[in-house]
Amino acid sequence: MRVLPWELRKLRAQSSVQVAFLVCLLGPPLLAVVLGAQTGLPKDTLFGRHVHDSGFALPLLLLGFAGTWAFPLLTSLVAGDIFASEDSLGTWSAVLTRSRTRAEVFTGKVLAATLVAVGLLAVTAGSSLLSGLALTGAHPLTGLSGGQLSAARSTLLVLVSWACAIPALIGFTALACLLSIVSRNSVIGIGGPVVLGLLMQLLALVGGLGSATGLLLTAPFAAWHGLVREQPYYGPLWQGALVSVVWVVACLVPARRVLLQRDFA
Amino acid sequence: MSGRALRKSYGDGVALDDVDLTVHEGAVHGLLGPNGAGKTTLLRALLGLVRLDAGTLEVQGTVGGFVETPGAYPYLTGRQNLQILAGLDDCPGDVDEVLRRVDLADRSDTLVNGWSLGMRQRLGIAAGLLRRPDVLVLDEPANGLDPLGARGLRDLVRELAAEGLTVLLCSHDLAEVDALCEDVTVLVGGQVVWSGAVTDLRARPGRFLVSTSADDRALRLAVDGLAASPRPDGGLVVVGATEVVDAYVLELAAQGVAVRGLVRESLPLEEAFLELTA
Repeated sequence: MRVLPWELRKLRAQSSVQVAFLVCLLGPPLLAVVLGAQTGLPKDTLFGRHVHDSGFALPLLLLGFAGTWAFPLLTSLVAGDIFASEDSLGTWSAVLTRSRTRAEVFTGKVLAATLVAVGLLAVTAGSSLLSGLALTGAHPLTGLSGGQLSAARSTLLVLVSWACAIPALIGFTALACLLSIVSRNSVIGIGGPVVLGLLMQLLALVGGLGSATGLLLTAPFAAWHGLVREQPYYGPLWQGALVSVVWVVACLVPARRVLLQRDFA
Repeated sequence: MSGRALRKSYGDGVALDDVDLTVHEGAVHGLLGPNGAGKTTLLRALLGLVRLDAGTLEVQGTVGGFVETPGAYPYLTGRQNLQILAGLDDCPGDVDEVLRRVDLADRSDTLVNGWSLGMRQRLGIAAGLLRRPDVLVLDEPANGLDPLGARGLRDLVRELAAEGLTVLLCSHDLAEVDALCEDVTVLVGGQVVWSGAVTDLRARPGRFLVSTSADDRALRLAVDGLAASPRPDGGLVVVGATEVVDAYVLELAAQGVAVRGLVRESLPLEEAFLELTA
């Protein structure tokens, strides 16, 4: 844990991280302004048709949209670069000749990347909820089963729905860390998870994988759909969490092994 | 610090082949060799950045320093860079103190992004010192330094050695090595071809400079296995095995010719190095 605060301090000073937080903070109100000025609505998108009816629709509209590529991009901006940047800057020799072991450095960096990713998600969730409420107000939300959900329950559901994306987000963080370590290249570390995320979406859309579609890391991003109903169901949530854990382990175990055994030649 | 039978390969290429290395405490030890000789691999092994295939490497105390161009985080100031590294150490040195020692105190609060190579080199040395090492590894530390900076670096290395720090200096600048190092190890093709005192490396085997009270008579004196020739600026150059030269000196004395000076011919380090690595 001694590496974590220093990694966070480095990340805080990076302009790419600052810009990412700014986009997450200002993106939702900008979208709200655009949607507020439009007469037509994105009706083919989940909760798109309800944006002018309830302030809780906007954060859920954004959540559905973010799962396709924004979450993989958000997390890989940091996780895909956090190891590879030490290669490109030539700083590994300074970092690894300190008292901290390679294992500690690995853990610190993964935790830092995870915390920033979750922080970006939290900022987007908060900003989109406030923007939605400012745009339309705290009116009851029409759930996916057609029933009305009270304002209090909708608030809770919005927050829980966003929180449901965290396991898969951490899965993508682990994937980005793996690519960052193995490739030693920030472009691959950042772009790789986004491309893989889109590929998974495409595979799920084509439907050729059958029941294996549920094993894709993008599948848990849709697990919250079961919550926004009068009679919620939680099966996809547990399955999504399990799939995310498997991805995290499958990515971090080899990533750690590679970093620990690597020759920094 | 000592290494025995050190071996390291990258695929089919052998970087270190049965390398022995001994560096005495408090010494400034030079590591020389042409490109690809294995110097950087040896330094990286010392810093724990590469794993050796075989051999034992023992270091009393901690090792600090850098290999090749020292890296830094360009989006942080020099001071912040060092604070980050200090945060990763159990007993780090004082950031202000090391900045002062490498003459960066005035610029330490500016972003490293705009720094020259020489300033980054000095920051690398500061990062090494921050470790409070017992052994400091410096790889081409004068790279990018102006003459004044290079002189300041030499003074700093001498100062550190006087304080008891052991310095392992890898450099292609033989004048720098000559000025700083008491001992050197020369690597060629991953193998040690010389290890010992710089003065011994510079001393050409079998060639002696002799001055006598009567050079003409000394030149005419014949001794088996010894060749003598006059030097343009006076005195003689004699070439022969040490025992033959001993016999020559005794014979000169027997003939009434006084020997006023006898020294091994000393070469510039560069010439000695080139002879060794050719």
